[in-house]
Amino acid sequence: MSQSISTSKASAEEIGLDLRIETPENVILTYQLAGPAIRLGAYMIDFGIRAVVIVIISIFLLCTGMVMPGASGGLYALVWFFMEWGYFIVAEGFFRGKTIGKHALGLRVIDDRGHPLTFWGATLRNLLRAVDVLPLYGPGFISMVLTQRLQRMGDLVAGTVVISERRVVLPREPIILEKIEPLPRQELGSYVPERGTLSLIEDFLTRRHILSHERGHAMAAPLASVLAKRLRFQGDPDLPLKFPMAFLARLYVTFLKRDDEEDEDQIDWKPKRKRQRKSGRPRQRQTVSDW
Amino acid sequence: MNKRQFVKQRKPAWKRFEKLVNRSATSKLRPKEAAQFSTLLRELSNDLAIVRSRDWGQHLEGFLNHLVGRGHNRFYRAPPGNLANAIRFATVDYPRLFRKHIWYFYTAAALFFVPLIISWTVVQLNPQLASRVLPNEALEQYDKMYEHDADEFTSANFGDKSMFMSGFYVYNNAGIALRAFAVGILMGGMTVYVLLSNGISIGATAGYMVAMGHGRTFSSFVISHGSFELTAIAIAGGAGLMLGNAIVHPGQRTRKEALRVQGLDAVKIAFGAAVMLFIAAGIEAFWSPAPIPAIFKYIVGATLWVVVYLYLFVAGRGE
Repeated sequence: MSQSISTSKASAEEIGLDLRIETPENVILTYQLAGPAIRLGAYMIDFGIRAVVIVIISIFLLCTGMVMPGASGGLYALVWFFMEWGYFIVAEGFFRGKTIGKHALGLRVIDDRGHPLTFWGATLRNLLRAVDVLPLYGPGFISMVLTQRLQRMGDLVAGTVVISERRVVLPREPIILEKIEPLPRQELGSYVPERGTLSLIEDFLTRRHILSHERGHAMAAPLASVLAKRLRFQGDPDLPLKFPMAFLARLYVTFLKRDDEEDEDQIDWKPKRKRQRKSGRPRQRQTVSDW
Repeated sequence: MNKRQFVKQRKPAWKRFEKLVNRSATSKLRPKEAAQFSTLLRELSNDLAIVRSRDWGQHLEGFLNHLVGRGHNRFYRAPPGNLANAIRFATVDYPRLFRKHIWYFYTAAALFFVPLIISWTVVQLNPQLASRVLPNEALEQYDKMYEHDADEFTSANFGDKSMFMSGFYVYNNAGIALRAFAVGILMGGMTVYVLLSNGISIGATAGYMVAMGHGRTFSSFVISHGSFELTAIAIAGGAGLMLGNAIVHPGQRTRKEALRVQGLDAVKIAFGAAVMLFIAAGIEAFWSPAPIPAIFKYIVGATLWVVVYLYLFVAGRGE
């Protein structure tokens, strides 16, 4: 359980609630692990569903019980057995790692090596649920807190994790970029911000609307002041201090434009294939080397 | 190429892939679409790698990561189970797996049958000791149950009562066996306890019956389903001991890895035990108390014991 933390970067990754797996395409995928709270929510939904099913069936069986008391009672015991042991196994084993409650909250059980859950994995993790629940899910909760991947004991033995699959949409262009004026070149030094910094600014601007105006400025202020210093910004000194968001937006546009210009230069020596593709029919296949 | 151009150029492919992933959740893809799915999955993986290496922002990376992740999960599914596999598992793989871990079964069987025989003998010689192990109400009930003669073992509504009992036996016995397996993870101690206590109380019941003079009725009743039931309890207990032993003696592996490897075999074995207990419940409810001369029950019961152990020890050999 205790992995040695070799580099600072690795440790930062280990703290994050991410499961990283390498796909056969040699790409690292990260899945967001689901914590105890949301899993409890999913469990409660499933619990409710199971309870309702049992109540409905027992009402039905009370009616048939007038005629065949034994058969109804036996069926009742079977239903109860299935709801206690079989519900999760069947749901997770045959519906790609999702129970109804998990589906409602966007959770899924997968193998911790990134494969989909198998029937035996689902069976194992859910039979061991009997131990995890012993008193009030205590052992399961403790195990989740103590393991890096938030696994209860059933997950540990079966080698499974519960991930959260929130819907993510393609980020839109941050703002109407054309309307934003780039910073004049003579006001800037020779420093060029790293691409990561610019991406960070872009992400920030994209989601600016979820923040209030003041909050947005407050959050942008530290970065704006640092960048203004690095760039030896000569213009209006109030801009980065009082309107850091506007400063960052203009900065972003400035370097975006430069980026575009440089790219135009490159196109000259790169073949015309790219131009063709832009106008041509939608292509089926494209790889990095194409562009 | 900068980020905006990249996004603009690749967006149609992403949209197309998203559509395919969504469709594959609800319906089967046509061959052409499946081929495209595969191509696009690789293309998008590539895009993701590019976005990462160029540091083009969390948001875009998150989007692609999510999309590729969903595609990955659809694309690399576990092979679907089919009937042929299930039959092969039942007839060949299961008994082989059982024999691969035979010593866990032997251990669990010893923990279960030895106390059973001891308490049987002791209680039969000294019937009042039964009340030390079993509650008095249970003993009174047994007295009533087995009062009648072995050959006319029935009640008025036999069929209906049997259906009730079969459901009850599944719920109770399979539940006990599965729990005995699951608690094995607590280093096996609880599993040992379940085996010992069940062995002792079953032995005490048997000894009490024989001492009270119901021996023939009792044995004709239990012999048939006992083959499946008692064996299955020992098997499930053995599977629980496998989990416990993976923690106690992980060998060359880490404990976590050992649990994983042993756990996969153990759960298959325990699953088989649960199926056997389903069969046992059917026999116990419908055959064992049936109004049939005791001699038939002995014959069938003895055959069942032979069948169970032939299955476990011979099936799937020499292939």
